[in-house]
Amino acid sequence: MNGEAILPYLIIIPLFGAFSMPIVSLIGRKAREAWAVIISGATLAVASALFYSVWEDKGIIVYTLGAKSPLGQGVSFPIRIVWEVDLLGAIMVLMVALVSFLAVVYSLGYMKHDTGLDKYYTLILILELGMLGIAITGDLFNFYVFLEIMSIASYALVAFRNDTWEGIEAGIKYMFVGSIASSLVLLGIALLYGQYGTLTMGYMAIKIIENPTVTAKVALALFIAGLLFKSGASPVHMWLADAHPAAPSSISAMLSGLVIKVGGVYALARILLSIYGASVSVKTVGWVIIIFACLTLIIGNAMAVVQTDMKRLLAYSSVGQIGYILLGLGIGLAAYGSHTGEVALAGAIYHTFNHALMKALLFLIAGVVIHELGTRDLNELSGLAKTMPKTTFAFLIGAAAIVGMPPLNGFASKWLIYESSAIFNPILGAIAIIGTAFCTAAYVRVLYTFFGRPSERVMKARDPEASMLWPIIILAVAIVIMGLFPWQISEKIMLPAVKALEDQLAYISAVLGGA
Amino acid sequence: MKKTIAYLSLLFILGVLLYVANPNYGLKFGPGGDDWKNLRYTDDYYITHGVQEVGGTNIVTDIVFDYRGYDTIGEATVLFTAIAGAVALLRPWRRDEE
Repeated sequence: MNGEAILPYLIIIPLFGAFSMPIVSLIGRKAREAWAVIISGATLAVASALFYSVWEDKGIIVYTLGAKSPLGQGVSFPIRIVWEVDLLGAIMVLMVALVSFLAVVYSLGYMKHDTGLDKYYTLILILELGMLGIAITGDLFNFYVFLEIMSIASYALVAFRNDTWEGIEAGIKYMFVGSIASSLVLLGIALLYGQYGTLTMGYMAIKIIENPTVTAKVALALFIAGLLFKSGASPVHMWLADAHPAAPSSISAMLSGLVIKVGGVYALARILLSIYGASVSVKTVGWVIIIFACLTLIIGNAMAVVQTDMKRLLAYSSVGQIGYILLGLGIGLAAYGSHTGEVALAGAIYHTFNHALMKALLFLIAGVVIHELGTRDLNELSGLAKTMPKTTFAFLIGAAAIVGMPPLNGFASKWLIYESSAIFNPILGAIAIIGTAFCTAAYVRVLYTFFGRPSERVMKARDPEASMLWPIIILAVAIVIMGLFPWQISEKIMLPAVKALEDQLAYISAVLGGA
Repeated sequence: MKKTIAYLSLLFILGVLLYVANPNYGLKFGPGGDDWKNLRYTDDYYITHGVQEVGGTNIVTDIVFDYRGYDTIGEATVLFTAIAGAVALLRPWRRDEE
């Protein structure tokens, strides 16, 4: 299949869907919902085809907007915006399209008591568009534009329930923190442009290698700071713990599963390895990331244990899991080029995908519980297993996967991270294990509540309707199936993705046409 | 305590940025001559080839709508998102409508 031919539709379809949503909404409620499902379904189809094509070719797709080649006439530098999709980008694209599609389907039932739904579906498609744009771009400024699209859509969606106190409060907090983080990234891009005169990531990498300056290092520091904010790493995770519980659950699933990873961790990995890989000391940068990762691991998971609010618990657990992903990324940098580093990066990428599935599942279930019972307080939810058996069973699968029980997908990805961290530095391995101990305690506590004696409030609850149940079932089945072939997936997909990410030369020469 | 640390780190960041803004160590302002060819080669290309490649005599619009038109779509989407978000958040509350 020709990846280059289908790549533009990844942007065209959601863009068209979002911009036509206000017109389609005029027809009526059913048309609007069908349109949102069709658009996100078509995006998922394109994303799967793209992933398959990139995976099959093992190459990098380069697409120039507006010309056949990114280079100008008679010169050897790129003048146009390029898209550059390697296997890591393709994995992110597939993950975003899959979880977004399920979140849209889930919204049909979940959001039906809310008003302003035409804006809701517009914004959710734009959120998806922004993340897809980040995953495929090969241009620094374009990356910033799509980071902003994603961020602004998520600010609005966090505060979407404008009649709730916490929604507005969390939205304001998220917006202030998020826009400062974005402006740090923009400042970094401005410094790099002033120093090197190009915006293409691949060519920027060459320029920095030829002439490493203080400006490049300052820009790197600004990028790391801004993107750690976006990924919700400690000590700047406080917006996340407010924003994820306050958003509608379909949005929490997208925020927690996708936004913090594509806008934070993926962008960090891309900038650190594809732009700065050969020009800064990756060891130092790796240790900086590792320190934040360890903090994030411990604080996120430990705070999850003491929560009584179900969604807040899941949000802190997301912070903790971002810690694992950052730990993998940090070790991958600090042990760059060695087998340990490769395993750590493979674990980080694998865990990114797995966590997107598990956390989306858990947040969707939290949404079902809130929808049925109207409360998120764990103390009032005892005995849910009696009246909502399917939901509880799916929660059991999600919780077991996130803790890392062997037959499920979380096991393999966490194992890769444990293994590499134990080989790299036993203390980091110990910290990772302590984090998991806290995480286990948090989820066991929830499950203990769910399987307890049914309370008054729980007696009239029932399993949700089909449009809310099916996304949950699909995610649970995906977790189980991915758990059955962990080493095959890691061998066939994640390790090649790491190879592609580490091969900076291939990334550069793909844009410059083998030059 | 927290505030002191915050102000100190802001001061540090300001110092670093001032260092970078010093032409002796970091960014050059108003590059001309050789610097123009070395630092602003992309801009030089746009100015030299813009008219014949794109056809507009205004280089800024040539860049914004042709060479980097995709970013402009992105900016339009940002505006659209901001409007959709603002309208969505300023809608009447659910209980007010009932």
